[in-house]
This record gives sequence, C-alpha cells and structure tokens, in this order.
Amino acid sequence: MASEFEVATNVGEADQTAFPEDVVLTENPIPVKETQRKKGNKEEIAGTLLASIPLVGFVIFGMIPLLMALAMAFLYMPRFGFEGAEFNGFKNFVTVLTDDMFWQSVWNTVLLGLSTFISLALALVVAYFLSKDIKGRKAFRMIYFIPYVCSVVAITLMWGYMFNTNWGIINHLLGRTGENAIDWMGEAGPYRLAVIIMSVWSGMGYGIILFTAALTNVNKEMIEAAEIDGANAWVRFWRIVFPSISPTTFYLLVMGVIGMLQSFAVTNVLNGGNSPDGVGITIVYYLYNRIFNYIGAMGEASASAWILGIIILGLTVFQFWGSKKWVNYD
Amino acid sequence: MTDTNTVTVVRDESLIKKTKAKSIAGKIGIYAFLVIYAIIILFPFFVVILTSFKTAADASNPEFSWWPTEGFTIEGYEAALTSPLVPTPLMRAFLNTLMYVIPPTILGLMTSSLAAYAFAKLRFRASKAMYTALLATMMIPGAITISSTYTVFDTIGWVGTPLPLMIPGAFGSAACVFFMRQFFTGIPDSIIEAAKLDGVGFVGIFFTIMVPLSTPALIAQGLLGFIGGYNDYLWPLLYTNVPGMQTLQISLKQFTGMFGSRPNIVMAGTLVALVPTLIIYFFAQDFFIEGIAASGIKG
Repeated sequence: MASEFEVATNVGEADQTAFPEDVVLTENPIPVKETQRKKGNKEEIAGTLLASIPLVGFVIFGMIPLLMALAMAFLYMPRFGFEGAEFNGFKNFVTVLTDDMFWQSVWNTVLLGLSTFISLALALVVAYFLSKDIKGRKAFRMIYFIPYVCSVVAITLMWGYMFNTNWGIINHLLGRTGENAIDWMGEAGPYRLAVIIMSVWSGMGYGIILFTAALTNVNKEMIEAAEIDGANAWVRFWRIVFPSISPTTFYLLVMGVIGMLQSFAVTNVLNGGNSPDGVGITIVYYLYNRIFNYIGAMGEASASAWILGIIILGLTVFQFWGSKKWVNYD
Repeated sequence: MTDTNTVTVVRDESLIKKTKAKSIAGKIGIYAFLVIYAIIILFPFFVVILTSFKTAADASNPEFSWWPTEGFTIEGYEAALTSPLVPTPLMRAFLNTLMYVIPPTILGLMTSSLAAYAFAKLRFRASKAMYTALLATMMIPGAITISSTYTVFDTIGWVGTPLPLMIPGAFGSAACVFFMRQFFTGIPDSIIEAAKLDGVGFVGIFFTIMVPLSTPALIAQGLLGFIGGYNDYLWPLLYTNVPGMQTLQISLKQFTGMFGSRPNIVMAGTLVALVPTLIIYFFAQDFFIEGIAASGIKG
C-alpha cells in the first residue's frame, strides 16, 4: 500500500509498542481512512506483536508437547526424561491396544460419559421452562449455576458423603440402611450410577446458561403463528424451537463429548483407582497411571494419549458430519 | 418452516377457557419442576453445612439426623484448619493457591486482552491466520499432552515447583482472547480514531480507551480465570503434590483418607474451600452468567 500523504511522526521503529506516548501525529486534515493507511506499517508491527503473545504460549505449551507426545509414543523411555530413550517402533501402541485394562478404561469412560448426554437433555428442559414467562427467573438461574463455580474436589467430597454406605443421607432417604444398605462405593453398578448423578448435578449449569441465551433469540412470532395453526407444544418445540437453537446444542454436544472423553478428576478424587472392579478407571486415569505407577512407561502413556486424541478427533469429525442433518445455521 | 398462510382466528369462548385452564396447570407444573430442581441443587450444600457443625459421632451416625443431635460444634472446623495431620494445612494451602493463581491470572488477562485488541481493532496481514491458529488451540484436548508436558517440565527441573501452574497461563488463553475480541469489536472505531488523531499510540489506546470501556468484561474474565485456577485439580496434582506446596484442592482431597471416619471435618474443609468461589459468584453473578452466555453463543 503506497502512501499518498506525508504524515509526520517521530516514532523510532523499535519503541512504538513500548512507548506509545511517543507516537505523535501532527495536526492534519487528512481523512481518517487515509491516516490509517499511512500508519499501516506501524499497525502491522504492533498488531502482530500483540497478537503473538498467546500464540507463543500456545506453541511452547501446546504445539511442542503435542508433537513431542507423538515422538514419545514411539520411544522406550526408562524415566521421565529423554536420557537413555530408545526407538521401539509401534511397540507402545501394541502394548496399549492389547491391554484389556485400556479397553476397559474406554468402556468405563463411555458409560460414565452418559452423564454428558443426560445433563444436556435435562439442561435443555430446564432452560426451556425458564424461557417461559416465569417469575423469579433470575433467582432460579442463579441457583442452577452454583455448581459451575464449585471445584470437582468439593463436589465429589460432598456427594461422597451423601452416598456413604453407612451414614449417607441417600441410603437414609431410600430407606436402605443397615443390612439393606446400597454399597455405592463398593459395587460397580451403584458406583457408576453415583458418579453419573454427581456429574449431571454439577454439569447442567453451563448448558442451562447457554440454552437460555439461545432460547431468547427464538422467533416468538413464528411460535405464536404455529400455535394459532393448531400445532401443539410438542410439535412447536421440535419444529421451531429446536431447529433454531441447534447451533448451541451442537456446540454443547461437541464440547461435552471432548470433555467427557477426558474425564479423570471425579473418580480419582472419589477413590483414586480403588473403584469397585476398576470401573472408575477412565482413559485419562489409565494414562496417568502409566506415568506414575509404572516404570519406563512414558512411551505407553504417550501412545495411549494419542489413541485418545484420535478417538476424540474421530468422534468430533463424525459429529460435524452428522450435524449437516440437524444443525441449522441461518 | 411452518406455513402461516392459513391463519384462522376462531373466537370460541369455551376453547379459550379450556386453553387457559390448561396453561395454568402447565404453569404450575413448570414452577413445581423448577423449584424441585432448585432444591436438588441446594440440598447438598445444606447437608455440608449441617454436617460440618455436627460432632464426629453425630456426623457418622447411621441414623441420619436433620439437626445436630449433640448440639452445634465447631470442632470440625478446628480440626480442618489446624490438624497437624494435614501435610499442607488448609490455610497454608489456601495461600499457596492464591500465590499460584493470582499472578498468572492477571498477566494472562493482560496478554489475552492485548491480543484480543489487536485482533479486533488493528489491521495486520497475519491477523486472520493467527486468529484461526489460536482458535484451533481450543480444540486440542489437554489430556493428549499430559505425558509430554510432564517430560518437558521434568527435564527443565520445574516438577515440584509452582512454575508449571503459573507460566503457561501468563501467556493468556484462547478462550479469553476470543471473548474479549467479541467485546472490543463492539467499541466504535470513531472513538479510537479520535484518540489516534490526538497522538495516542496503539498501546495507549488500549489502556485509555479499551480497558475503561470494558472493565466489566475484564473483571468477568479475570474472575473466571481465577476460579478455574483455584478449582484446578489435575495440574496441581502433577506438579505441586509435595507437602507444604499443595494447593487447597489437593490438600482437601487428602481429607477423605485422613478423616474418613470423621465426616464433620471433611465437610468443614469442603465448606471452607467452597466459600471463596461462592462469595465471588454471588457478588459477580451477572458478569459471570452473561460472560459465559456470550462466549457460547458465538461459538
């Protein structure tokens, strides 16, 4: 972009971002657009520099570890670092993929991850009700969002107490005390159910907020018109409301699945790997276990990490592909 | 789309009455649902508070009591806060957490919003490519890099120090850039142009115009960042899991092992850990909810 106007500036090339006060334009009658064009070069440098800080962080702490994990997946590493590391081909992948424990962890993750879909569906119901002409909507919304700001550890401890076999309030409310007590933390089925319940309880708030925001943008006139046409509430919801909030649903679904495949904290806090029949061992727990409880298994941990990454990528691509059928961007 | 061509308005009084009755019944149903759900959300907090004021025997009594049968006591809190059994005493762990979380949150907020400002208001050739690259980072699942990140930090000797918790965050986060960019884009260019004519530089414009006009958004992002760091579990578990250095969450997690038979202590500790985030939430809930709603809609 050639400069058509001379604008006097006294800026040294180097210090324009550090000392912005030095940027002095003389009074001039040049239209704004033209000034901007003249300042293009400085703007170019300032913009690139400012925008690059988060990117540098991403390269150092995201991109490099990502590629390193790929390299490490093909190495045998005696310890955490690279000293003594040897190339061992696809052996780590073979070890992981032929490990029953790994496949069990995949299955566990999927079963516990059902909470993602349950909480999304319930969040939509709650948000839909909230979008009606409701008194105290703000208060409800405020309460529903509380779990979002609570830590996984705190949530797990409080629910762990409530699910306690001997003195927990849940067995008390169910009338299952003494001999009949449900062993929530000691049996596979109840354990899974307990984890799903606490995950749904803590996971719904985010969905409710996003759905509520999306629902306020649904075309009210269209709903009224359909009502006059005799469409009942069920039809109105699926024909008008649901399609118009489908981008939000899709976003929550994609992010929810990505997050659910990486679940770790709840079962780790609950009983750190001593879950009944190991049903609390998720994929990330498997990987974590390789790093800290096996010697020389960094390669296997990285291989399982990449397998997890491929699963996540596959499911995300699948969801984007499927979204063409039901997600409606206007 | 439904066809709205056949709009026929029938004034049938009995029909109107019927639908009215139906809608009132529906309303009651909706309120009942919303209230029950609110109770389900609040109930665990009631249990935590109640139990934290019970004696150990009362709290672990198989006959659950809805009120402390042996009277209110703060022995749970005393033990949670002062017990020498805890490797990192709760108050120490709280201070550790503040030390690890506040500086990178502030720095990260600054770097993120400077970048967001560049993406929103400055013209530079790589803008689009850099923005796309940044958004792509939000898609990379963190779990994939757990092992390699650990290798990096082990190699440079950062394991057992809070640096892995602090340094990456100081570079800012893609989500924060994304959100602040949305916000900055809404600030009219005319104000910026006026400042430019007055001779204010790019960074000067950021501090004199963008920051004052977006203080609520910045506060929301800062608080969200703080709560995220405060509540984090995995990274402190990996890098600062050393007695004396643990964060509040890690210290609290050990309560179950240490005080398994005295749930009043565990619940007191849980409540102590929850109070800071709950206070922040109650005072800044509008910032929070709107900030989150805005970030999701555009996603």
